[in-house]
Amino acid sequence: MAAAEPNGIADITGAVRQGLIPAFLYNDAQVHELERTRLFGRSWNFLAHESEIAQPDDYVVRNIGDDSFLVTRDSDGQIHVMFNMCVHRGMQVCRAERGSARTFRCPYHAWTYKNDGQLAGLPFHADAYGGEAGFIKEGQALLRAPSVAIRNGMIFASLDPDAPHFETWLGDYAFYLDFYTGQSAAGMEFRGPQRWRVEANWKIGAENFMGDSYHTPHTHASVVDIELFGEPKPYKRKEGVLWHAGPGGGTTYKLPPGSEFRSGLAYVGYPEEMIDRMAAALSPAQRALVDEPGFMPSASTLFPNLSFVHNWPQTDAEGRITPFISVRLWQPVGPGETEVYSWFCVAADAPDDYKAASYKAYLMCFGSSGMFEQDDVENWVSITTMARGSMARNLLLNNRMGLTLDGDPIVDQFRGFGGPGTAYQGFGEHNQRHWFSMWADLVSQPAPAREPMAFGMGERQA
Amino acid sequence: MSSARSAAPLPYTDERHQMAAQFLTEEAHLLDTSDFEAWLGLMDPRIRYRMPVRVTAVKAADETDVQTMHHFDEDLYSLRKRVQRFQTDYAWTEDPQSRIRHHVSNVRTFEGAGDELIAESAVLLYRSRGDRTAPSLLSAGRTDVLIPTEEGLRLRQRDIEIDESVLRTQNLAIFL
Repeated sequence: MAAAEPNGIADITGAVRQGLIPAFLYNDAQVHELERTRLFGRSWNFLAHESEIAQPDDYVVRNIGDDSFLVTRDSDGQIHVMFNMCVHRGMQVCRAERGSARTFRCPYHAWTYKNDGQLAGLPFHADAYGGEAGFIKEGQALLRAPSVAIRNGMIFASLDPDAPHFETWLGDYAFYLDFYTGQSAAGMEFRGPQRWRVEANWKIGAENFMGDSYHTPHTHASVVDIELFGEPKPYKRKEGVLWHAGPGGGTTYKLPPGSEFRSGLAYVGYPEEMIDRMAAALSPAQRALVDEPGFMPSASTLFPNLSFVHNWPQTDAEGRITPFISVRLWQPVGPGETEVYSWFCVAADAPDDYKAASYKAYLMCFGSSGMFEQDDVENWVSITTMARGSMARNLLLNNRMGLTLDGDPIVDQFRGFGGPGTAYQGFGEHNQRHWFSMWADLVSQPAPAREPMAFGMGERQA
Repeated sequence: MSSARSAAPLPYTDERHQMAAQFLTEEAHLLDTSDFEAWLGLMDPRIRYRMPVRVTAVKAADETDVQTMHHFDEDLYSLRKRVQRFQTDYAWTEDPQSRIRHHVSNVRTFEGAGDELIAESAVLLYRSRGDRTAPSLLSAGRTDVLIPTEEGLRLRQRDIEIDESVLRTQNLAIFL
């Protein structure tokens, strides 16, 4: 039986669709529960990149919401995503977060699983169960993630067996995803993640990377002041285009007049050798995004909680400009707490000298010690703290930038943009509204009831 | 610079141990009082300042730090940028400032290569921000390479072993 519809959810989603955000959404137990069951229970969630489990028998352990998953590469090189709970008595089978193993043995009763999930060892199967007559061991395995998809080496899973087909769902976002994780035919190398917990609601980071170019000149004024990264000057930031396409959106910086693909990439610090690789890996349409009028992707979010950033700071005293890419996950821990996972990402076949400089660029700007990220998190913790009180229950925050009171865009869509989807030049909250419309779609639909599964019972499980 | 070191720590009565311990105490004082310029002055120009990410690994795997990912991997340029940022009017994360205290203990000093000293220490950083959020703690071990100069000891290398795999502090707008 479906649970009763929570009080007020129609009002909440109605407001959100008008570009008005009930302030308490950023710190509310009931909203968190709806997100856990209806949103994260159905969405496509990023878990890991193939390069993190590069060798046969490598594994990492990652979460979707409260659920722990083992992401393995088996001895034959196949990738598996399995619920990390022993099907006997429910203990977490693997308690390390990464490593290399052919088998995983539950510490409780020594049930042992191969790294493809198959149950290989069940002590005293004959004595304790009477063999197959009491527990059907044949063919048993750890529970598989209901849906799994891999794109650009990025491993995604959904808890929903009826999740939309991944590539269909991804749609035109794929065009932009390649700028971050499709730069080279050799694939990308993910390093990290750095992990830390912040007392902030997960939605704020997702929305911010989705399209908040408006915060950059002020929140990050210090990094301009110290000449670490010159682009976020207010007049430059507002020349950028905000785009959304499929289940994601992002920000760009306008390149200098007359830019074309190669000069645009050189401007942000890519060496010739890298530009050659990117020219080969990206399609003519993708390359055209960088051509005059010329836009370079910066921050982006893929719904619900996976974000990307591509910036190009000065990485040494001599003035070398080097781009970096970071991939980050805003993993909800509770209504007012998020675990941030932040990876550094670089083309696997990039020259060592470039990798080192790009890594330096990442560490200076983003991640646990990053000079951009430090100020972002300060803001997000503050919003979350304020959202907890009584006043926030009756306050609708304005998420309507770029619209008149009548709901018309204040400027026309930008036609000179080379990418698919919807694009506006200048400041606006078009992307954040798009993100919240997807949020509203999921939290307003009850999750379908699923039949429980029994293990070892064969046909008699129902 | 080699990682050679004497087998046993120097006795507490050794003047070199006393110099190293005093260096660490005075350094902590500079950080606790936000005298970052003076703190930068303690760095050897070739400073390597690193804090690798720690992970939870099975015991048999003995590698609990990830040498390909750090929370800090700094040279003098990037340390100086971090300090310059705190000195701007826009470093919101430290305005208002945190109340911080570096508790430095367990100092063990070894002879290094040449006249270098190797100093191991434990540091517990208490950080309190504003009046709404709970204070945070960071616990770490440090291994420092100190070199004597005419102006006193200078920090040539610091390797920080942080005691968490998931940091429970909102950012590292601090130095350990």
